[in-house]
Amino acid sequence: MNTDISKMRNIGISAHIDSGKTTLTERILFYCKKIHSIHEVRGKDGVGATMDSMELEKERGITITSAATSVNWKGYDINIIDTPGHVDFTIEVERALRVLDGAVLVLCSVAGVQSQSITVDRQMKRYNVPRIAFVNKCDRTGADPLKVKDQLVEKLGHNAVMIQLPIGLEDKHEGLIDLVTMKAVYYRGLDGEDIEITDIPADLLVDAEEKREEMLDAVSMFSDELMEAMMEESITEDMIHDAIRKGTLSQELTPVCLGSAYKNKGVQALLDATTRYLPNPTEVKNIALDLDNEEKEIVLEHDLEKSNVALAFKLEDGQYGQLTYIRVYQGHIKKGSELYNTRSRKKFKVGRLIKMHADHMEDITDAECGDIAALFGVDCASGDTFVQTGLNYSMTSMFVPAPVISLAISPKDKKAADNMAKALNRFTKEDPTFRTFVDQESNQTIVQGMGELHLEVYIERMKREYDSEVEIGQPQVAYREAISRMAEFNYTHKKQSGGSGQYGRVAGFMEPLDEGEYEFINKIKGGSIPTEYIPACDKGFKASLAKGSLIGFPIVGVKVTINDGQSHSVDSSDMAFQAASKGAFKEAYIKAKPVILEPIMKVAVEGPTEFQGNVFGSINQRRGIIVSSADEGTFSTVDAEVPLSEMFGFSTTLRSLTQGKAEFSMEFLKYGKVPKGISEELIKDYEEKRRKESGK
Amino acid sequence: MVRSELNKRGPLRVFEKSINGGVGKGHIGVLASKKGVGKTACLVHIATDKLFREKHVIHVSFSQKVDHIINWYEDIFKEIAKKRELEGAVDVHDEIIKNRVIMNFNSKGTTIDQVLVSLRAMITDGNFPADSVIFDGYDLSESSQEDCDKLKVFAKDVNIELWFSASLKGENPEFNDSGVPVDLEGRIKDIDVLITLKYEGEHVHFQVVKDHDNMETKEMSLKLDPKTLLIARDE
Repeated sequence: MNTDISKMRNIGISAHIDSGKTTLTERILFYCKKIHSIHEVRGKDGVGATMDSMELEKERGITITSAATSVNWKGYDINIIDTPGHVDFTIEVERALRVLDGAVLVLCSVAGVQSQSITVDRQMKRYNVPRIAFVNKCDRTGADPLKVKDQLVEKLGHNAVMIQLPIGLEDKHEGLIDLVTMKAVYYRGLDGEDIEITDIPADLLVDAEEKREEMLDAVSMFSDELMEAMMEESITEDMIHDAIRKGTLSQELTPVCLGSAYKNKGVQALLDATTRYLPNPTEVKNIALDLDNEEKEIVLEHDLEKSNVALAFKLEDGQYGQLTYIRVYQGHIKKGSELYNTRSRKKFKVGRLIKMHADHMEDITDAECGDIAALFGVDCASGDTFVQTGLNYSMTSMFVPAPVISLAISPKDKKAADNMAKALNRFTKEDPTFRTFVDQESNQTIVQGMGELHLEVYIERMKREYDSEVEIGQPQVAYREAISRMAEFNYTHKKQSGGSGQYGRVAGFMEPLDEGEYEFINKIKGGSIPTEYIPACDKGFKASLAKGSLIGFPIVGVKVTINDGQSHSVDSSDMAFQAASKGAFKEAYIKAKPVILEPIMKVAVEGPTEFQGNVFGSINQRRGIIVSSADEGTFSTVDAEVPLSEMFGFSTTLRSLTQGKAEFSMEFLKYGKVPKGISEELIKDYEEKRRKESGK
Repeated sequence: MVRSELNKRGPLRVFEKSINGGVGKGHIGVLASKKGVGKTACLVHIATDKLFREKHVIHVSFSQKVDHIINWYEDIFKEIAKKRELEGAVDVHDEIIKNRVIMNFNSKGTTIDQVLVSLRAMITDGNFPADSVIFDGYDLSESSQEDCDKLKVFAKDVNIELWFSASLKGENPEFNDSGVPVDLEGRIKDIDVLITLKYEGEHVHFQVVKDHDNMETKEMSLKLDPKTLLIARDE
């Protein structure tokens, strides 16, 4: 292992689905001698690309979860974090983005900058990740890397600069011209591993000189030294590399490389660019939140002697138990040392410490700040922060949004049932936004998540990885009930049917609570309800919140104040007051004019401007509010707020409305009132369901 | 104060009264001043007043980010709600923002044709029954006659009123004898209502320079509250 941190790179490879990301990763592993033969993503040999460790990913040819693998290229340690391209798995994408220091944006030379690239690029911008671009698939019919470079400028607003030019395109794609060295580079041999460097072919020289001038003009903005050298005509290669690096690190320049991973062209040059221009871990500022100090931001230092801080960004089930991928941000983690998990507040000992390759591992004794490693057998969840005892930092905010959609699942047979439990246990640990519970009434297992696709992926994974086939019910929106006005109660619970009786009277009022779910205020004076029964009252009200009487969903935002009551010296008990409080709640609830709340999603639709009328129309039809639209020339983004219940099947509608050229992402925003008409329908449906159930 | 009462009594009623009930559908209104006087705040207040009265507004901007325009609306709403002690402010807020859309054009060289295509798409395909369109940061004084004509045709065609802000050049912009800013002299025939904002002492005051067919300059007895940036009565 390399101990020189300046020779370490943590990078992500990010792209639109089908841009060839997995193939590129595969080739990188091959050229870095991590694997000894090349498989294709949808290979005929049935082995599949090495990075795609999940069956599902193999089948679909896409990468959903992020795995990390480390390679060595010319003395540099490169950790490759495979980032998912799908926008729906936000937690996963964002976690991966936190961990990497730089990224390679892979673009297809035919399709260019696609909407997915725009989304991913925007996320990277948000996390200040420096990028270099790789225009892949230059062997394809219609390949035009210069057009893609222009799109990087127009659509993504990058200051993109070609640092290479293609030698031949489509089926004549042979290699590239390096505009820094002004040499032609050919990739020979069976797998492109024999690199031949020659003079630039005469017919390409004029063009190459022109493009080099353009490149020098752009990159010299970042280096006075280079600018001076240009005037004196004493430019060196190092000066150019240095200027490109400065521009890239400041995120004001995006160097563009090109090639064809599939045809083994340009990958080695891309690796050179990665090590030359992307930052090492010390060049990136990382922030932790101090949990003892209201999540105040703390800048972490790349210092081996400082206290350890690491983030568990990914869990995987391996042959030997749970594998936890970590990135060390501060200090160094030694095998056998003790760490503290700030979420679970548990200490644990570092047993085996390893470095991961896609499918095999290497034992190490020490993981230093900046590095990525994996731990065995640590009981934790994804996103947990591990620190040295004494610190209480977290790398991520503790806030996890509540799930907005649920689905009933039932295993098809006994084996599936056993495996389902295992799978659910694993998934809930991996992803805090994925939850599960057993509904006591229907005795069904319910899974909850952040969207349709989110749940679909887990259902698929259950089948693939855990051999657990389940039947699924209709997706159900997580409605809530809430009161809209103040209402009083005065309820007496009385029972006298032989034996000891039950007696309790509770009086007071309930009112809407703007923030929080429930509050209980005791304003009893003179002991009309004896102090010992007050907790029972609280319990009774609280229990009533679990299920509202409108449509049977939990009630939120209620403040209950009790100010009077009565007890009986013999017949009063905890149970009697609990029952009285439940009765009181029921009595006041209907008077408090309850309403139904539904999850409202923040939806962003991105697509060519020519289709924006269709997008506006379809959002309008779905009870959506268009908050804003941003027109960026030929491309536009529409931000809207749409009820989740109206979003089912939106991806299909959008595809047909925009010839598949628009994409959307959505995330939970808030709970909003359901309009009257729809609310009445929901109530009717609920009553119908209850009638049926009671008639059984 | 409840919303209906606020609508009846606000300073914007004074504003409307001094321009004969408003700019009116199919017409163009302009707020002109030098930079940094508070045109955007005024436009947002005018738009918010329309939203309070259940009208639909599209706010067209040409800035880098939509967020800061939304923040303008939030701030102006908060100030109004605070000043007038608005009852049920949260519900009113949620209710009125449904009738507001922000359309941002941030690429260099956006043409008026592109803007109008998008506006039409919003109004017709998006079923958004806009009453007013606020153009913030579109320089009418520098637009071509052809573009200006297109805007006028559009306003008449979809029957909406258009509000523009015009930034006058220099620290002390020049005005002609009729009170028209020299920068806008070439456009005055296309403008139906022209209001200028000027510092007088510590406060910004409003002056009607053109009110439809009337070219008589008159004071509006309104000022801009320097703290809240709300349009307020000048008492």
